[in-house]
Amino acid sequence: MSTPRKIVLALTVNGQDHDLLVEPRRTLLEVLREELGLTGAKEGCGTGGCGTCTVLIDGRPARACLTLAADVQGASVLTIEGLADALDGDLHPIQRAFVDAHGIQCGFCTPGMILTAKALLDENPSPDEAEIRQALSGQVCRCTGYAKIVDSVQLAARRLAGEEETP
Amino acid sequence: MSVYVGKSVPRRDTRLKATGEARYTADLALPFMLHAAVLRSPYPHARLLRVDTSRAEALPGVRAVITARDASGVKWGVFRYTRDQEFLARDRVRYIGEEIAAVAADTEEIAQEAVALIAVEYERLPAVFDPLDAIADGAPRIHDHAERNINIHVPIHVGDVDAAWDACDHVHTEMTRSEEESYFMTEPYAVLAHCDRQGTVEVWMPNASPHTKAKGLANALELPVSKVHVRHVAIGGAFGGRSDMFPGEYITALLSRKTRRPVRLVYTREENSIAVRQGHSMVVESRFGFKKDGTLHAVDVTCHMDGGAYSSTGPIATSVPFLCFEQTYRVANVRYNGYRVYTNKPIRGMIRTHGRAWACNVDMQLDLAAEALGLDPIEIRLKNALKTGDHTPTQSHIPSMASHETIRAVAEASRFREKWKRLPPWHGIGIGCVSVMSGFPMGIRGGSAAMVKFDEDGGVHLISGVVDNGQGNEGVVLQIAAEALGVPIDQIQLTASATEITPIDQGAYSQATTLVSGNAVRLACEDARRQLFEVAADVLEASAEDLELADGKVFVKGSPARAVPLAKVVRSGLLKGKSVIGHGSFGPNVDQRREWIQNPKGQLSAAFSYGSAVVEVRVDPETGFVDVLDVWASHDCGKAINPKEVEGQMDGGVAMGGHGGILLEALRWHEGANLNTNFLDYKIPLAPDMPPIHNFIVEADDPVGPFGAKEGGLSISMCTAQAYANAIAHAIGTHIREFPHTPDRVLDTIEAREGTEDEAS
Ligand code: FES
Ligand code: FES
Repeated sequence: MSTPRKIVLALTVNGQDHDLLVEPRRTLLEVLREELGLTGAKEGCGTGGCGTCTVLIDGRPARACLTLAADVQGASVLTIEGLADALDGDLHPIQRAFVDAHGIQCGFCTPGMILTAKALLDENPSPDEAEIRQALSGQVCRCTGYAKIVDSVQLAARRLAGEEETP
Repeated sequence: MSVYVGKSVPRRDTRLKATGEARYTADLALPFMLHAAVLRSPYPHARLLRVDTSRAEALPGVRAVITARDASGVKWGVFRYTRDQEFLARDRVRYIGEEIAAVAADTEEIAQEAVALIAVEYERLPAVFDPLDAIADGAPRIHDHAERNINIHVPIHVGDVDAAWDACDHVHTEMTRSEEESYFMTEPYAVLAHCDRQGTVEVWMPNASPHTKAKGLANALELPVSKVHVRHVAIGGAFGGRSDMFPGEYITALLSRKTRRPVRLVYTREENSIAVRQGHSMVVESRFGFKKDGTLHAVDVTCHMDGGAYSSTGPIATSVPFLCFEQTYRVANVRYNGYRVYTNKPIRGMIRTHGRAWACNVDMQLDLAAEALGLDPIEIRLKNALKTGDHTPTQSHIPSMASHETIRAVAEASRFREKWKRLPPWHGIGIGCVSVMSGFPMGIRGGSAAMVKFDEDGGVHLISGVVDNGQGNEGVVLQIAAEALGVPIDQIQLTASATEITPIDQGAYSQATTLVSGNAVRLACEDARRQLFEVAADVLEASAEDLELADGKVFVKGSPARAVPLAKVVRSGLLKGKSVIGHGSFGPNVDQRREWIQNPKGQLSAAFSYGSAVVEVRVDPETGFVDVLDVWASHDCGKAINPKEVEGQMDGGVAMGGHGGILLEALRWHEGANLNTNFLDYKIPLAPDMPPIHNFIVEADDPVGPFGAKEGGLSISMCTAQAYANAIAHAIGTHIREFPHTPDRVLDTIEAREGTEDEAS
């Protein structure tokens, strides 16, 4: 098999700048998982159907399995590993809400869910239930029936708005 | 007063899952690791005339190619009498997707390219795809040993069914059919294996029982069990689809053994759909007889299940839908003939709601009888529901069962009786009930053991073979340990799964973990307390019987000031050469002589839970679309160790069993090729689809379960399915006999009903 020519990819991931040498056919998911060791983004299908690979590209949720790495040249990518405060290691309030409100079972959908919830709450800090469900409609969860995921996002919204204390 | 049990403590593993730190199998990599790919049969039934791997072997970067020639030839099947599957097909393939050869290479791409270079000469054989066609005269035979392609026949007869019909006032026959459903756990199957030069194999893979996997793999690799180490790993869902042995782990281990390097195999979503397990399709014929007052008097059910190409858990899968029925309702005369039939389709296992057509058929019969006898659906269920102290027809004693309480809980909350009589047109309400076992006889691997050891600073290590597929089993045993020991939960570390360290555990099969593994953990903690009290008695100058342990301190009952921290007790013990290690071992009280086919009688399980659900729907008669307005679910799970987690299981059950199972989910086929193997084509419920769910936990403390706990969650998946189907029937005025109830079927049924009404008028 002939090795295709590689390109230089400049990417900011979780606040850190990288210049990576990658084959042009690589997806962002492959680059994150294999080149950078960021395995928090999952490959539930590889074909756009499940949302477990969701990361934020310049603040917007995107399916990393359908995104060619070369297409996001120069972009800023946030993965689940970059959400918790890197310095004190504490969970981000959305992560903490998912833990406290029992929104996590097997956890395979969780990174994509939490990042999608972050994009929603950044844009709309007090979404109603229907808006939450709509925002999460591209994220498959087979375990929870979504009930406690919705609870988690609502709890996160209340905590972020300062309406409720984090214990 | 309990400190941990009954409290909705956030699960510890979820912190790792929320941050991406939790490692699933495909996230793991070892130095020098190779990548594997599998060659699968493109034909549903064919003889393998020649498998030529020479071109694949010659490809640069390929490190090993294996076929049946490299395999031990040991066949897999859960029982001695069901061993019918070789992990690499030797001379015949029986379904599209069956494993023929595998490659280990430097990269995934090279492995895939090499697979494409393997030349196979096939002689195609006639194939059969439907269980009723497969048992017909002249059908192609799939296994030489199986006449009429019958893989399993479970015959059960209690009382005298033929003589009982005469005493019935209402007798009715029904036929229902369901298509296959698919697990669609979000994590695709994956295996990482490493065979080293000591002859030890380390394996990571999603699984529902590390010890069962270790034994199966040891058999296939012809190694002692002690040489196979199944490791702990995060697991992305199971729902019954990770339960037995799969070729994946054998193939990966064999490639590693051949190359002496770690090998990782990651299935595609499509491979996960066709080459692990699928649900059974079923055809169920039932005849139910009732007395005038609504007493269920006689039942005769025949079920044909499409088992696919191999046995897997065959005898269990053939029995479980019957068992869930006989645990739910009292009946003096009952006959069951369950047939699991071989077809040229992928292998079937048990899935969360195993047997939609079976379970919903029962509830359909109850509603039809209620109507004929002038009762309402609640009354007929209360009349016939088994309860605490009863026996099932096949002689299981029921130590606890709050059946009536769960039925009343959902009936009242939903105002069922009121709505049953008057709802607007095209609205409907329905109820379903089911009882699920907490474990069943599993022979020498039917029990669990646990150990507790202590650090000099008072830290606690709990060692248990439990596995967590996402349902929270690790949290359950941690809460039980914290409660039973009297130590803050954060002070306890858990080592789970890892088979070279943990003692035997039955695994997350048949909803046994809470009751069986939980009891082993409880006993280990009680044993540790006894030993700690012996040591502390000297320190506190008190007698061991007068001591108590709470909040990490040992103290004299009644005088909490006379206390000593756990760390000090541990150290005093060490000074005397006494390292405290608690042991607990638990075997459930089941009849080990009970056998699925030869002897289906005797105590099946140590405990039985109960679930009841009510569902309210509105059907659009123009589109056939079902709008689900509300779901009420109530569950006797014994003591809820963690109520929010039990609710989570209930919610998930409503989604998978009820909403997905009755409205959406079915596999589509063309000549044995599964057409919807991906999320885009196989519809599972999404967040906006789900109705509001109102959960009610009804705790009937079980005498055997740890702190009174038993199975939690599965009952709801099943009974919600039944309630969905009955609600739709109530809305459209007739039952739909095919599952799932997709819009086209809803419309066809409405049209057919209107047609008959026109003729009648
Ligand atoms: S992996 Fe499923 S959408 Fe990307
Ligand atoms: S928690 Fe398992 S898929 Fe969502």
